[in-house]
Amino acid sequence: MSMQLVTNEFRLQWYEMRQYWFETVTGLLFVSAIFIGLFYGVKGFVVEQDESTSLDGLLFGYIMWNFAIGAYGSVTKSLIEDTQKGFIEQLFLCPNGFVTLLLCRSLVETLVGIITVTLMAYIAMFFTGNWLDINFFQFYSILLLAAPSLVGFGLMISGLALIFKRVETIGAMLTLGLMGLVALDGLPFNLFSLLPFVAGSSLARDLVLAEQAFVLGDLLIVVGNSAIYLALGIVFFKFCERHAKRRNLIGQY
Amino acid sequence: MLEVKGLSKSYAGESALSDVSFTLNRGEVVALLGANGSGKTTTIQSICRLIEWDQGQISLDGESTQTSFRYQRKIGAVLGGSRNTNWRLTAKQNADYFARLRGFSGTEIRTRIDELHTKLGLDQHANKEVMKLSTGNKQKAALLCALSYAPDFVLLDEPTLGLDFTTVADLQSMIESQADQQQQGFLITSHDLNFIDKICSRVIVLDHGNLLFEGSIPELKSKLFAYELTLKLTHDTDYSKLTESFWAGRFSKSVKDGHLHIQYEAPEQSLAMMNYLHQESISPELLTIKPLSAETAYQALVEQKESL
Repeated sequence: MSMQLVTNEFRLQWYEMRQYWFETVTGLLFVSAIFIGLFYGVKGFVVEQDESTSLDGLLFGYIMWNFAIGAYGSVTKSLIEDTQKGFIEQLFLCPNGFVTLLLCRSLVETLVGIITVTLMAYIAMFFTGNWLDINFFQFYSILLLAAPSLVGFGLMISGLALIFKRVETIGAMLTLGLMGLVALDGLPFNLFSLLPFVAGSSLARDLVLAEQAFVLGDLLIVVGNSAIYLALGIVFFKFCERHAKRRNLIGQY
Repeated sequence: MLEVKGLSKSYAGESALSDVSFTLNRGEVVALLGANGSGKTTTIQSICRLIEWDQGQISLDGESTQTSFRYQRKIGAVLGGSRNTNWRLTAKQNADYFARLRGFSGTEIRTRIDELHTKLGLDQHANKEVMKLSTGNKQKAALLCALSYAPDFVLLDEPTLGLDFTTVADLQSMIESQADQQQQGFLITSHDLNFIDKICSRVIVLDHGNLLFEGSIPELKSKLFAYELTLKLTHDTDYSKLTESFWAGRFSKSVKDGHLHIQYEAPEQSLAMMNYLHQESISPELLTIKPLSAETAYQALVEQKESL
């Protein structure tokens, strides 16, 4: 991964956020509104049921789902939107290779997503007076370790998008599917651990929310899951890229 | 030097390019001519590695483009259909982004972008996103991106499509100055022969994926017909007798809707037939002679490939 590409993608994000400030502001307000809605609406509901820790769990689940969508979508959204915006061919002229560019973009979008969501969460906590008992640093460290599995998965879907173009339906199904992935328990090792991100979200829940003891084996499962899915994603995407180039499909949308 | 050697590509068994070879040197402006489907865009896309070809070799300064993507730092491309810039950014932001994408940044690049931006007449649109620019200015924004990091070779796919005369003239002067002062090599695909005529030192003509002609503009022009005579006679006349007996030199004939069309090189070629018509007191229903535009002459040339 190239540092120059990463800073360039940060710059692109900044350009777009500044240029389309209204879109940026409404996006931030939307995230804040969700947090405030969860704090007030859902809190009232769960407190009636005397489950004071449920609010943390619910918000924790929401942030994790949001993160998962961001990590997965950073690749697929990028490929589809840049094709529609009309400059995907120019991105294929990147001397570092298109996959490297996608990985850098994914890293940047994930980091920007983390910063935004955390900031909005804190603003919502400040205004509502409900302070979450979550160690964000530990939480995001685990999620970042697990994120490559979703990026790999996103690369696979993007590879299909290069060839078949219209993959929005699959994308929408996967967005819902991610809710399931976030909710499943992949630790200790079981069949669910083989699915992308499941082990990572389980580890985050165990360590950050349940404050259980750290188990090295669990961490290795998360890292292994990430590495395998990312590698599979890259190989599959390159296969699709070659196929698309043989049939002159790049950029045709 | 950019070298294309024996390039072949086919789609579903149908040949798009067949054994095409040519070179492009720094400081040279070369045109890639051909009708739709002749293989021009496939050639440009192959150089950019946007498609995978079946056979042949493309190399830059002796190094194959298939071994590494690094060569793309030396290539700038404006691809067809305005698909070159992020429409949500301004022209300058685009140029900055794409220069950095190729690994170029710093004061020198920023100064260069500023200079080109002014030269291309984009200053008055500095705050507009590309989506709000006219077709001509979008094309200029794309050119700004392609030139921003001073690549050694610039590929322009149909750069004059949809542009007015003034913008074409601006584009022409920009290409000439870049080739001359920056020693950049340009490969330009176009249908616009007048544009090509003014700026290109060499022409490559493709037809159905085959290289039909490679040479200088004067060489190409020497193969183009200069005039077209159209004749329609009032009674049934055997046109073949007219063409076989009274035409000498290089010419091309066709009969369409009862009209005889003859394309030829020099005015005197038509005199023998005129003399015959006069002596025989044959009154034509229609007789016109007009000089051929470069465009029509070129099309006629492609239609009768054997003369190349």
